[in-house]
Amino acid sequence: MPATPRSFPLRCDGVGRRDFLHLGLLTTFGLSLTDLFRLQARAGDPSAHSPRAKSCILIWLDGGPSHLDMFDLKPDAPSELRSQFKAIPTSVAGLRICEHLPRTAAAMRHAALIRSLTHELGNHDTGTRFMLTGHRPGPALEYPSLGSLVAHTQGFREAMPPYVAIPNDSAGGNSNAARSGYLPGAFNAFNTGNDPANVDGLHLPEGLSFARSEQRREMLRKMDAFTQASEEGPATRNRDAFYEQAYRLLASPEAKAAFDLSREDPKTRERYGPARVGSGCLLARRLIEAGTRFVTVVDTGWDMHQHIFKELPDSRFPGSGKLPALDRAYAALLTDLHERGLLESTLVVLMGEFGRTPKLNAAAGRDHWPRAGSVCLAGGGIQGGQVIGATNRFGEHPVERPLGPPDLAWTILQLLGIDPGQELTTPTGRPVKILNEGASIAELL
Amino acid sequence: MITRALLSVAIAWPAALISAAEPPPFRTAVLPVLTKAGCNAGACHGAATGQGGFQLSLLGYDPREDFDRITREFGGRRIDLDQPGHSLLLRKSSYQIEHEGGRKLPRDSSGHALLLRWIARGAPYGPAELRVTGIEVDPRDSLIQNTGESVQLRVTASLSNGVREDVTPLALYTSNDDAVAEVSKSGTVSVTGRGLTSIMVRYSGQVAAARIAAPLGGPNQEILLTPAANFIDEHIDAELLRLRVPPSSASGDAEFLRRVHLDLAGLLPASEAARTFLAEPPSAEKRLRVIETLLASPAFVDLWTMKLADLLLLKGGSEEAAAYHHWLRNQVAANAPLDRVARALLTTTGELTSAGPANFLTLANDPRDLSEHVSRIFLGTQLACARCHSHPSDRWTREDYHHFAAFFARITREGGAIHIAARGEVDHPSTGEPLPPKPLGAPLPQDAGDDSRLAGLSRWLTAPDNPFFARSFVNWVWMHLLGRGLVEPVDDFRPTNPPTHPALLDALAADFVANGFDLRHLVRTIVSSHTYQRTSRSLVANKSDTHLYSHAFLKEIPAPVFADAVAQVTGVPDVFEGYTAGVRAVQLVSPATPSPALDVLGRCLRTGPCDGPSQLGGGLAKALHLINGPTINAKLRHGAAGALRDRSSRDAIEEVYLRAFSRAPKPVELAEWNVLLDRAPNRSAAFEDFLWTLLNSREFAFNR
Repeated sequence: MPATPRSFPLRCDGVGRRDFLHLGLLTTFGLSLTDLFRLQARAGDPSAHSPRAKSCILIWLDGGPSHLDMFDLKPDAPSELRSQFKAIPTSVAGLRICEHLPRTAAAMRHAALIRSLTHELGNHDTGTRFMLTGHRPGPALEYPSLGSLVAHTQGFREAMPPYVAIPNDSAGGNSNAARSGYLPGAFNAFNTGNDPANVDGLHLPEGLSFARSEQRREMLRKMDAFTQASEEGPATRNRDAFYEQAYRLLASPEAKAAFDLSREDPKTRERYGPARVGSGCLLARRLIEAGTRFVTVVDTGWDMHQHIFKELPDSRFPGSGKLPALDRAYAALLTDLHERGLLESTLVVLMGEFGRTPKLNAAAGRDHWPRAGSVCLAGGGIQGGQVIGATNRFGEHPVERPLGPPDLAWTILQLLGIDPGQELTTPTGRPVKILNEGASIAELL
Repeated sequence: MITRALLSVAIAWPAALISAAEPPPFRTAVLPVLTKAGCNAGACHGAATGQGGFQLSLLGYDPREDFDRITREFGGRRIDLDQPGHSLLLRKSSYQIEHEGGRKLPRDSSGHALLLRWIARGAPYGPAELRVTGIEVDPRDSLIQNTGESVQLRVTASLSNGVREDVTPLALYTSNDDAVAEVSKSGTVSVTGRGLTSIMVRYSGQVAAARIAAPLGGPNQEILLTPAANFIDEHIDAELLRLRVPPSSASGDAEFLRRVHLDLAGLLPASEAARTFLAEPPSAEKRLRVIETLLASPAFVDLWTMKLADLLLLKGGSEEAAAYHHWLRNQVAANAPLDRVARALLTTTGELTSAGPANFLTLANDPRDLSEHVSRIFLGTQLACARCHSHPSDRWTREDYHHFAAFFARITREGGAIHIAARGEVDHPSTGEPLPPKPLGAPLPQDAGDDSRLAGLSRWLTAPDNPFFARSFVNWVWMHLLGRGLVEPVDDFRPTNPPTHPALLDALAADFVANGFDLRHLVRTIVSSHTYQRTSRSLVANKSDTHLYSHAFLKEIPAPVFADAVAQVTGVPDVFEGYTAGVRAVQLVSPATPSPALDVLGRCLRTGPCDGPSQLGGGLAKALHLINGPTINAKLRHGAAGALRDRSSRDAIEEVYLRAFSRAPKPVELAEWNVLLDRAPNRSAAFEDFLWTLLNSREFAFNR
């Protein structure tokens, strides 16, 4: 995957990445190998918080999906607001969603649709941070993403990296939103890149036996021990942790196979569709099966400031466009997990950083609108087939059950068996609650 | 050292605010109360869309608009002139009625009283031109000896009518590192840890900072300093003394040699050169000789061209990028003064494939976007916030921002060339009036015979007394050599983010200007200092130091330098698509040159700033790549391995150690690898494994 440079400062919330970069630096403060092993030990320990979900797949619609054209259509609104798409019935009585999501409509009985997500951060960077961390971005501290929190509190399962991003963790205009915040860099996502089967270094180089690879590892231990005393610091500890993770992964054939989509039945591949989001969702399922705890599938291209009714279902090519591709992938994921008996233990979340303006702009697009947005949750022990909250008649803001990103984060963590009120420690020794606001969304449980 | 432990003083309201004669002015008295209470914070009514139907400008940057919202919007329902106490503004903020934000200004608070009095006297705006022109914080520099001790900050505001008032209770305080010091809402700073930080102070659109230091060592900590090599050491040593941090000793010759090669030339020292250097008795003179050799080497030109290209985000179509890169490399090779380089970048027009520096102006089409690049790259300043509202932690307003953007309003790109158009303006975001170009914090200098906006800008920017240009450039070079900027991040200079060593930064900048903006002079000055030449091995008493340069900080090796170093040790060069054999990663023109290896190692793609430690790239993916990927594994069999495996084990081991680490193996290392190589059934394979081990080692991974 390409190495990504630091993101540009955000525009207008007054809290730039710069303001917390000095703390961001602290994330390079490593976790020692003992920390890693401790985490693994804890992961096997049945904790007081019994999880409903063992794993989570987050489908991130990067750029801000239009609630008004997908899950919250307002057929009676005036023409300058209304979606050009029709609403169709779903497998849930009384619930109608966009006509370009027919497969999703059939699968809605598995899902709980939240129509009243609301916040006030209308930049991609800040909005994404808020949604993915559950914290309003502030100048004092950069917060870890949900995936990093899961990796940190639950550690490895099998040899799989606990947190994986497909194809990479650059959500929110390449902000740090999906990254490890104040937690060490070791809890960043493992990025699969666009050719997951050939993740660089996943296979031994030609001609190198496993035994010899192990011997090299032993030599490396000795070499590093020679210099260990001389200097050790955050940067070296970080590097050590990554080498440790790499060797765990390499030692497991099952883990390596999980990245290889070619092992999948062509019929199943067909079912998820040829689009990136389709193969991403299928790969996510394979990774979850192999032991990954949190997979983020990043689907870019939802920031539709122009010609939204042409872009969503690509009108030049019937059946193509963002909605048909997502429809196929999302519905296939839910039904596939269900058929395999994995949906009960796998929470699937579909969301982006915010909704879009009810009023169409001059370019027939919709701009950023954090005051209202839709989120779908399915599986992981939640109560499907329901709608939570509602927006007003123009889709401008919630009129019923307003929920914020902290509530969503709270619920997701709780479903995964993590107590959001738990305190973690920053590298400087400052105690911080995982979340400092929010409450679980009771209807889901 | 004298401990300054001022006790917190009882807080009195500013005298001007409690004067009963006049109604409190809205901008300078009422608004600060609302700001202090958090009403116009980004998370409350200061959000871009307001909160609960009530919108205020972020931290009160737009007093007129706020005044209208409070007194006029919805028919003025927020204030009640007949029954001031019934004003919605007061009842909400004191939580007499439901308020999502809670009780911000209780009824018995002085803030509540002030608002009440303001409304009772007719809620006027007050003198139209009255504003706060500056704030001062005292003490600006505090040394606090013990954890738990505190110091009370005093903030004085200067008003446009000449009045100065104590606004301590109403200023906003934020600690830049609360692991070192915390600050209360009333401005009491208490030390929570050890080290150096600052407190950001904001009041009525003005900002300041107070530096706070908490010594790492106790009063009995012995600090042994060697005589300074140059002015850098004087500044660094003074701070070590003040904060009671003992410096580590000087680096050994091997450590110095590897470091200075990687930093100045982006290469490891050749084994023969290392052997010669190590054989010569230690002396300052031989180190200076190495420094001069490196400064004069073509590799210096390659490395610093790459660093500058990363800073300038040099990319583009292949012909354009080649012309641009060629020009930039020539500037570094000829040691062109950096002020001249900057002027060329800002003023060159013409064909992009022939006029190399003209490519700089293609960084963005919109003048506002381009102004943000220019301020970040040449001034080390982040302007973006001020595009929509006053910068919340700097002094720039929206007017400043758009005045500055106006410098770039007339650049056009036609076909493959940059032209300057006769027309083109940047308009005021509210009034729509075109704004004349104006530098940041200064009037436009008199033009010197040409009227081009960009010429005016470049004259201001590179003038010897420009407060930003030299400082930000020397800081950028310092960061590349020392691993941490005196201002960090290097592109975030602002009054609220003061340098760790302000006087040193000033001295470096002055020296840079006095010596004709000479890059090599600057690099030479820095690497000749004892500060640069200290060992990276920390002492118990300075291990926790991350700001004071008591020991050398480990540096990550940039991706292209790392790739080249692997090629050097193995003797197997990389071949890059579209380049002749022998071109090293550091020499690549375009960041888009296909190289999965450089991607996973974390190269700068030049789509955004790359300075500073990256937590991206790298990680598990990089570890996997180094363990199994081609960067190392494809180079083990041939080259060095082929040439060396027939030599005696001892010889071969020593040679590889010199190449990789610039040092001889320790006896214990020699013994270990000797046994391994001699006993191996397959000596070739064992030698490959040995090479692999060194290239994957912790010691190889860092520039120490």
